[in-house]
Amino acid sequence: MTEQLAWLIPVLPLIGFLINGLGYKKNPKGLVGLVGCATVLGSFILSILVFFDIKANGAKTIDLYEWISVGTLKIPFSFLIDQLTSIMLLIITGVGFLIHVYSTGYMHDDEGYGKYFAYLNLFVFFMLLLVLGSNYVIMFIGWEGVGLCSYLLIGFWFKKTEYANAAKKAFVMNRIGDLGFLIGIFMLFSTFGSISYADIFPQAQTASTAVLTTITLLLFVGAMGKSAQLPLYTWLPDAMAGPTPVSALIHAATMVTAGIYMIARSNILYVLSPISMAVVAGIGLATAIFAAVIALTQNDIKKVLAYSTVSQLGYMFLGLGVGAFTGAFFHVMTHAFFKALLFLGAGSVIHAMGGEQDMRQMGGLKKHLPITWFTMLMGTLAIAGIPPFSGFFSKDEILAHAFEVSPTIWAIGVGGALLTAFYMFRMFFLTFNGKFRGTEEQHHHLHESPASMTIPLIVLAVLSVFGGFVGVPEALHGSHLLNEYLSPVFGQSTQILNAAHHGHLSHETEYALMGASVLGVLISIFYAYTVYVRKEVVPAAETAPRSGLEKASYNKFYIDEIYNAVFTRPLDSLSQLFYRILDKSIIDGVVNGFGQLTQWSADKFRRIQTGYIGNYLFMMVVGIILILVFNFLF
Amino acid sequence: MSSIIIIAITAIVVLYLGLYKVKSALLPVSVLGLLGAAASLVCVWDKNISYFNDMLVFNNYAIAFSILLIATTILIFLLSGNYFEKISSNVAEYYTILLFALSGGVVMVSFQNMSMLFIGIEILSVSMYIMAGIKKTDSASNEAALKYFLMGSFATGILLFGIALIYGATGSFNLVQIAGKASEQPLLFYAGVIFMLIAMTFKVGVAPFHFWTPDVYQGAPTLVSSFMSTVVKTAGFAAFLRLFGSAFTSVPAIWTVTLVVMVVLTLLIGNITAAFQQNVKRMLAYSSISHAGYMLIAILLLGQASPNAILIYSVAYSIASVASFGVMVAVKEQKGSDDLSAFNGLGRTNPVLAFVMTVALCSLGGIPLTAGFFGKFYIFGVAIAANYTWLIAIAVLMAAVGIYYYFKVIIAMYLRESENSESIQLSLAYKFVLIFCIMITILLGIAPALITNIL
Repeated sequence: MTEQLAWLIPVLPLIGFLINGLGYKKNPKGLVGLVGCATVLGSFILSILVFFDIKANGAKTIDLYEWISVGTLKIPFSFLIDQLTSIMLLIITGVGFLIHVYSTGYMHDDEGYGKYFAYLNLFVFFMLLLVLGSNYVIMFIGWEGVGLCSYLLIGFWFKKTEYANAAKKAFVMNRIGDLGFLIGIFMLFSTFGSISYADIFPQAQTASTAVLTTITLLLFVGAMGKSAQLPLYTWLPDAMAGPTPVSALIHAATMVTAGIYMIARSNILYVLSPISMAVVAGIGLATAIFAAVIALTQNDIKKVLAYSTVSQLGYMFLGLGVGAFTGAFFHVMTHAFFKALLFLGAGSVIHAMGGEQDMRQMGGLKKHLPITWFTMLMGTLAIAGIPPFSGFFSKDEILAHAFEVSPTIWAIGVGGALLTAFYMFRMFFLTFNGKFRGTEEQHHHLHESPASMTIPLIVLAVLSVFGGFVGVPEALHGSHLLNEYLSPVFGQSTQILNAAHHGHLSHETEYALMGASVLGVLISIFYAYTVYVRKEVVPAAETAPRSGLEKASYNKFYIDEIYNAVFTRPLDSLSQLFYRILDKSIIDGVVNGFGQLTQWSADKFRRIQTGYIGNYLFMMVVGIILILVFNFLF
Repeated sequence: MSSIIIIAITAIVVLYLGLYKVKSALLPVSVLGLLGAAASLVCVWDKNISYFNDMLVFNNYAIAFSILLIATTILIFLLSGNYFEKISSNVAEYYTILLFALSGGVVMVSFQNMSMLFIGIEILSVSMYIMAGIKKTDSASNEAALKYFLMGSFATGILLFGIALIYGATGSFNLVQIAGKASEQPLLFYAGVIFMLIAMTFKVGVAPFHFWTPDVYQGAPTLVSSFMSTVVKTAGFAAFLRLFGSAFTSVPAIWTVTLVVMVVLTLLIGNITAAFQQNVKRMLAYSSISHAGYMLIAILLLGQASPNAILIYSVAYSIASVASFGVMVAVKEQKGSDDLSAFNGLGRTNPVLAFVMTVALCSLGGIPLTAGFFGKFYIFGVAIAANYTWLIAIAVLMAAVGIYYYFKVIIAMYLRESENSESIQLSLAYKFVLIFCIMITILLGIAPALITNIL
């Protein structure tokens, strides 16, 4: 079954893109929404079938056709569908479908409705290509494709200059990462003589550690860009300029996890290079804390969620770095549920507020938006890590593995979790509790969103609450279905890691760790409750004086300004210098010289073409004589 | 063989249809006949049948190129809908003569005996002399025909001389026997090879024997030019490669230096002169010279990969040329001119036409994701395998010049404003051909493996 139908999974959204893209001016809105949603739903249904097929029969490779074949370089256009891919397929098409449905309500009055759905379908197509590819080149095509769609959708309202700039920033930042990824692929080819997973992974152990470290670090640079890790994360908060469903789908649930997918896919390479594992864990942990600290003081509801995404992605990388591949992937899954939910909920709030995103203008929305309120509460509890919500299990699994490697990492990780709980409830209380702080007009406009928006919220809320049960740890008498399912993918790596060091934690230690983190989170929530509900503190206005650390956090640690001063401005001046000296006089001179030479010689060549047949024949005869003389006299 | 017979009979039937004034049946009958001819070729794939004591051998090489020639002809016929009726009253003659020319082309790609090569070339050439001058009242068309005829007969003379010398040296017309006896009379033989080389390079329009091309292409009716630059050129190159690849490989390649100089000259003259043109038709004529230069590289460095490289290049080049000539005819019909300025604003008034033109020009320029990219890619692959890196450097530089003049048209279409905003109405068959061409172009750009391994 899988062999015959799997190719349809990416092709359906592509067809949707073609229909909506070619007819974006003419298609009626009803048709656009129907095509957009139905194609992704079709892919979702196929993904479910594929999931069960893989579960029963194991991984499959589907060769579509030989794409490029030059010398020893062979790039087949083929798909590898294994356990990892099949779960990614479910996340992408499932969450993708819900967000498409939500978009039919959210974007209903936008004049670019058709264009929006075309882009969104195209995104789903590329994302599916990314996870389906059986080699790094197909993955790279998907990787670049989703980057393009992200760019198009961030700048969807491109008439606003700052939005267009945010899109450009995302594109440029990603390019830096892509360069690393690309060089990594080149090195893979030169080391292993192939770019297919099936050829590379079995012979991974034959390569030297130094080479593997270089390759994996280069690939990680790519992941840093796409998955918004330090130091390449600054594009993601700005990417919130796009429509909110886009933030939910691309910048929270799917695209930004591509980096994690890539490392999880290449797990064997990473396991063989301890240095790379340490770097991944270190960067992940640093990002998790850093972004959480920034999120503490943000007042834009989407910015809070954006920094929280960066921070959660950091946890996933931490998980990969400490060898908790299943845990990291588990977190990808649960995060897709609750972060999509939170973004869509925020979208519902923004929709009700008539486009307002500043939480200082909100408050008391609980009674106006009951469904949004309740579903967002579920999402917030899930991200905060309260048992038995989904986020608890996945985060706990990562932290437990971190403890095996080093208690210090665990402690810092838990510290980050406390910050997470605080800023998420800060956001939640500021939005829904207290008195309404907006204008009279906004107050009048408040309403619950239409069913097309609330139903996806409810579905995602259910998933956020119960999604964690696929990975209940042994210590809690669960059977960890996910771990079992994914074991063919990560089995070899786990063996290598287990052989290298650390035994398993005892159940008592695990209970203690869980207890400590849950207690901390509860205290943190209580503190947020005291500050923002009891005392009704409202964050100070833009210009109010702030103390040292708060000011730094509020201003996002001035990272954008630092990048500006350290990279952008020197580069600008350097490029100015080059422009004036090198470009204007030397390169332009050479280029224009060539241009002039071409023009000049074209003019001369043209004159040979006199139109007189006598001349032509004469020149032909001269040519023949020259050829004969040359060939027979020399 | 049956394909040649079917084409010839179709041509005669069409001529009679013209006599009895059944104009509406001309196109369907011709296309049906051609489809039949193509089908008969498909049936003998892999069979390697030879006819008349090895005069003609239909191996896969011959079949692949014959099908390409027939397919290109069908596309051009579909484009011609009422084009021929507008320029002349004797429409049947157009179809007939082009069909005869095509049968000559099929002979050229399937010959195994040099007399058949000569016959094929002559059937094709004589038909084309007539076609170039078919606008009887148009002096430019007459001039083109006369020039083509005078220079063509000059080249034919040289070809015959070359065949005679080789016959003198080996006592045979058969390619296989020639290859076996090549070293018996080296001086005569080499002289023969050089003369044949000159004649063949003339037929495909390589510098310094390219002078006829721009004048003839411009003077002839546009669709006839498109036939010349696709079918005639493809048949010429296929015959060239068949001749050199089988008969002359047993002796040292004395022609290498000569051909290298010709390649470089052709690339330079074709591309640089095209960059100067303000008339799109003339620009395409010069660019077709430059394409001959790229294809010549595969013959210069004869190897295992050459037949396939030439085939891919021919396919890519033929379909992109048909599409671009087709758009040009449509534009000329409405604007009355095929200057660059006639294309201004086409992107706004006729997005489909502009898109077709853009894809076709990108393919001619060799931009990735189009068939043209892989055409150049495999040609360059042949040269890299033979360690001719410096030649590739020149070819790539010239390809960059090519991008410059192809993009002049694209810029005109999308970035310039047009004076009138009327859109051009096209018939269904016309649209079908254009869209079919670019679909194939893109398909082969994404999945080149469909044709890269068939020879």
